[in-house]
Amino acid sequence: MKKKFLLAAVAVALGAGASFQASAQAKPEQLVKQRQSAMALIGWYFGPIGAMMRGDRPFDAAVVARNAGYLEVLSKMPAEGFQPSTKDEKATKAKPEVWSDKAKFDKAMENMQGEVAKLAQVAKGGDQGAIKAQFGATGKACAACHDDFRSK
Amino acid sequence: MSELHRAVKVWDLPVRLFHWLLVALFGFMFFSGKAKGNWMEWHMYSGYMILALVLFRVLWGFAGSTHARFSSFLAGPGACIAFMRKLLSRSPAHVAGHNPLGGWMVLVMLLLLLAQAGTGLFSNDDISIEGPLYKFVSKEVSDQLTSFHYYNFYVLLALAAAHIAAVAFHVLVKKENLVGAMFTGVKMLDSQTEVPAVRFVSSWRALGLFVLALVAVILIVKRPF
Repeated sequence: MKKKFLLAAVAVALGAGASFQASAQAKPEQLVKQRQSAMALIGWYFGPIGAMMRGDRPFDAAVVARNAGYLEVLSKMPAEGFQPSTKDEKATKAKPEVWSDKAKFDKAMENMQGEVAKLAQVAKGGDQGAIKAQFGATGKACAACHDDFRSK
Repeated sequence: MSELHRAVKVWDLPVRLFHWLLVALFGFMFFSGKAKGNWMEWHMYSGYMILALVLFRVLWGFAGSTHARFSSFLAGPGACIAFMRKLLSRSPAHVAGHNPLGGWMVLVMLLLLLAQAGTGLFSNDDISIEGPLYKFVSKEVSDQLTSFHYYNFYVLLALAAAHIAAVAFHVLVKKENLVGAMFTGVKMLDSQTEVPAVRFVSSWRALGLFVLALVAVILIVKRPF
């Protein structure tokens, strides 16, 4: 028990150290690039699922499952790029509210990650109706953040 | 104040149907545009319908019944000023069709609705859905049009609010039955109000023009060629 606790403490310390190091070294413009790249990839893998759900392209359960699996990982990435050091960056659509209402922003981000995780789960089942429902819920979670924290 | 006892038919069926369908679809656009998710699919279909309706209304403004025509309700500056002078009085406005200010409001709303539906065709939500003409413009241009689509909606919402406020003013203060008239087509006017000779055009012509507008929209959206 003690040993487990010790291991966990070490892991947390290492993890915290690692993320501190990453953010301490990264320049603001790199962080913006990090999160924009992650967003671009999310769009790349999410879009085709939407096209299939609307019937704009034929439904392919394997592609949906693959993309949703990628998305589950990708969805965890953008949050890391939203560091306070990027507050004054010009080439970004992030609104000041990202930092002034951080709690709401974090919650919206977490909510999105949760919905994407569910999408990945549902996608494995291959049931088109269930995927469409969860696709809609995921899109709403994306939009919630875009509405409040992204300039139009 | 003279009695309003003359029932005069002013709005033809196509104008009334257009008006209330637009109200319903506009409300749905507000809802679906905010709800996002899978509602966006219906947001697009509803947008095509609005585009067809507005195109029809423009055609009807040239080929419709007397009070539906632009030439009958787009008044000159003199008429507008004369109308505004008497606006705040409590007596009815004595206008058979659109009053001078209302007429210009119709034109502005139609133009902005056209712009709204038109930019929607090129818009993208940066999540999963694009308008049918998105592929013909760069991402940057699409983003700008999407931005317009976003802000112009609030302009339309403000116009709708102004429209409703004006109607409420006419109904409550000036005692005109404008809302009822938009349902029945019949306005109650007094004996002095000048009622021009009105020519009502067959609703079949309206149907033909609407089908024409709808086919045009489908061709734009589906691009079968």
